[in-house]
Amino acid sequence: MNFGQPAPSYPAQNMRVQTPAIPTPNPTQELSLPSKAPEATETHGIAGIVPTLQNIVATVNLDCRLDLKTIALHARNAEYNPKRFAAVIMRIREPKTTALIFASGKMVVTGAKSEDDSKLAARKYARIVQKLGFPAKFTDFKIQNIVGSCDVKFPIRLEGLNSSHEKFSSYEPELFPGLIYRMRDPKVVLLIFVSGKIVLTGAKVRAQIYLAFETIYPVLAQFRKL
Amino acid sequence: MTQYYELYRTSTLGMALTDSLDELIQAGHITPQLAIRVLGQFDRSISDALANRVRSRATIKGSLQTYRFCDDVWTFIIKNPNFKFEHDNVTADKVKIVACNARRPGES
Repeated sequence: MNFGQPAPSYPAQNMRVQTPAIPTPNPTQELSLPSKAPEATETHGIAGIVPTLQNIVATVNLDCRLDLKTIALHARNAEYNPKRFAAVIMRIREPKTTALIFASGKMVVTGAKSEDDSKLAARKYARIVQKLGFPAKFTDFKIQNIVGSCDVKFPIRLEGLNSSHEKFSSYEPELFPGLIYRMRDPKVVLLIFVSGKIVLTGAKVRAQIYLAFETIYPVLAQFRKL
Repeated sequence: MTQYYELYRTSTLGMALTDSLDELIQAGHITPQLAIRVLGQFDRSISDALANRVRSRATIKGSLQTYRFCDDVWTFIIKNPNFKFEHDNVTADKVKIVACNARRPGES
């Protein structure tokens, strides 16, 4: 088998070493790796603050039907409870992520902290599935959501912010203690807390997280609680 | 008839019983049918004994290396486990824990 360049060093980690009784068609598909590392976007942040990426959700299509029970029985760190959820839940330690693997061959990878980690993790899961004998490919990898967070280190008057940005914001302290700010451009949702802690979500690329924070920062400064 | 797990047959006690029954069959003292009934009774008795007669407690601590859940069975492989019994401590390199539902699905 040939999987292209930087072979993730231990894809066998999630595997039972026992030779499986399942057919092992030679996967002809190559899992070629990306050559470029997403340029570390040249942001120096605003006020010296750069949001930290906390979670990346990506999807990928392995492009073959999967027998989930076989996967659950032979892979390590897998859960399959069809009565509860129609996917195998699998985890790897490096990059620390969780994958939902569906019988259709579609897969969701969550928990990565960077785009590269997300893709690397997705490849590792694909390799695990491949090694179990399925002709898995690696198609349509797509980052669906990026979540970041940061701390502006000053308290914020959410009431004031809410009333002057009512087109974008919703603040219902009885329902949720944070203000929900739906920024139009970039299309990012921000959760803004009194404490000055901010969560940014809904971005497809990391630049949107940075841009959203740079856009909101002056507004937060304006509603700084004195 | 309620079904009982057969997993305790591979315990030390179950293996010893199985060996003895084999010997008795070989020697012609009992029939294989009787041996099967004895094992069935063993499944029932050990499950009852573990549920109702065991009073001692133990705690197991270690790091989880691997887990699996499939067909209502959890499998855990724990590295460097430490078993704490009432009076003593036992350690090992690895231990595999197989856990099933206390009540089988469909059992009343």
